[in-house]
Amino acid sequence: MHLTVASSLGLDDVDRRIVAPPDRGGESLELGGLAHDLAAASLVMARRFAAGATMWCVSPAWPAHGRHVAVEFVHPVIVGKRALPSVFVDTDDVVADLRVLVRPGDVVLAVAAAGEPGVAAAMRRGPAWGATTVWVGAGARPDVAAADHVLWVDDGTGLAPWSGRFVLLYHLLWELTHVCFEHPGLLRDGAADACAEEACITCSDEGRLAEVCASPSAGEARVRTATGVETADVSLVEPVSPGDLVLLHAGSAITRVPG
Amino acid sequence: MTGDERTGFLYPFIDADERDSTALLADLAASAEAKAAASRALRTATIEREGDALRATAGAMAERFAAGGRLFTFGNGGSATDALAMAALFSRPPEGVALPARCLVEDQAVLTAVANDVGFDVVFSRQLIAHAEPGDIALGISTSGTSRNVLVAFAEARSRGLLTIGLAGYGGGDMTTSDTVDHCLVVHSDSVHRTQESQAVLAFELWRAVQTLVGAPS
Repeated sequence: MHLTVASSLGLDDVDRRIVAPPDRGGESLELGGLAHDLAAASLVMARRFAAGATMWCVSPAWPAHGRHVAVEFVHPVIVGKRALPSVFVDTDDVVADLRVLVRPGDVVLAVAAAGEPGVAAAMRRGPAWGATTVWVGAGARPDVAAADHVLWVDDGTGLAPWSGRFVLLYHLLWELTHVCFEHPGLLRDGAADACAEEACITCSDEGRLAEVCASPSAGEARVRTATGVETADVSLVEPVSPGDLVLLHAGSAITRVPG
Repeated sequence: MTGDERTGFLYPFIDADERDSTALLADLAASAEAKAAASRALRTATIEREGDALRATAGAMAERFAAGGRLFTFGNGGSATDALAMAALFSRPPEGVALPARCLVEDQAVLTAVANDVGFDVVFSRQLIAHAEPGDIALGISTSGTSRNVLVAFAEARSRGLLTIGLAGYGGGDMTTSDTVDHCLVVHSDSVHRTQESQAVLAFELWRAVQTLVGAPS
């Protein structure tokens, strides 16, 4: 490779969109609706950590971001803040690795574009694994239901993964999570929750997501749900293979769910 | 009734019986906005203050790249991940010319071998001894400006003729006074988080400036 060097830099050339994005609607709101999304996600994450969760971080295209999130939580830069179990999972098969690592009550956090296939598949399995899912990204948004918490940067630059925008976002997530620890009354299971994260009994009765573990005999399968592994009647949705997603109702798989 | 109970009303937020999260969620959102505004103010001030240094640094890097030089990045903890991100930005850019760059924290075998056999102070310098050539570039990141292994790596890099570049926080620490650092870009803040956010912008603007200076491959 041979490169040439331009003689001078026309530099008033700093990217103003990145350094000082324009004010939105006269207010200098940096985050807009994202501030509320961050607040809701951090309260749920604090609750999960308080209950013993491990946070599993994946970022197939931008591993530096996934690593930064993990080290931020496990070894805080502010002395005296508690170390929270958080792990970066360096993997070429997100679903296969998370499937064995994640336990009910854990958190899965991805830093990835909406089109990242392994991440989308892992996020979809969150309810079957009993995991809370958080998806950090930028650009085209995933479906609003793609994860429990979709924290999306919409700064109009298309450069958020490189410009430092993600770093700000996950720093805020860490800072807010630790603020929540100062409110022990709100960390207990069943605490009143304005963001309606807790599953209601009525809804969970209507259908639970399950992932097929094995189908040893016709009409029957061992399936994994948020509450553990159980045997389900799969005669309505056969044939099923390990890894397939189905909706369970009263012990029977009533429909397949795209995985 | 204990004293704690009588004065509990003075400390609503440490009340273990707190049940309604509405107020907390509003506080969290407001806090996020305030911190984001502080981050923005710091990066604006940083780019303004370091603008000339950034231009000079980019110019020196572009000359090295044009002559076949390679970029080695390094740092610890969050700065290690930012060094990883920076190497990826140069070598696999979202647009423009891919430039040879590699992060010295990437290989766990080398890191643990050197740390175990010799010590953590030399985990980066040892790799420069093995890999670096006089036309290369060494770029170290330290929010404190005092990370020992980063400073040791600069000394090794300087002795081998590399261009040495530091990204520092806390006013610069030892990095600004070190005579082995050719260019030091400094963030003036005592918050590690806000410092890293501004360092990420400095890294990004450095990359953009280098891209502007380095023409397409011929």
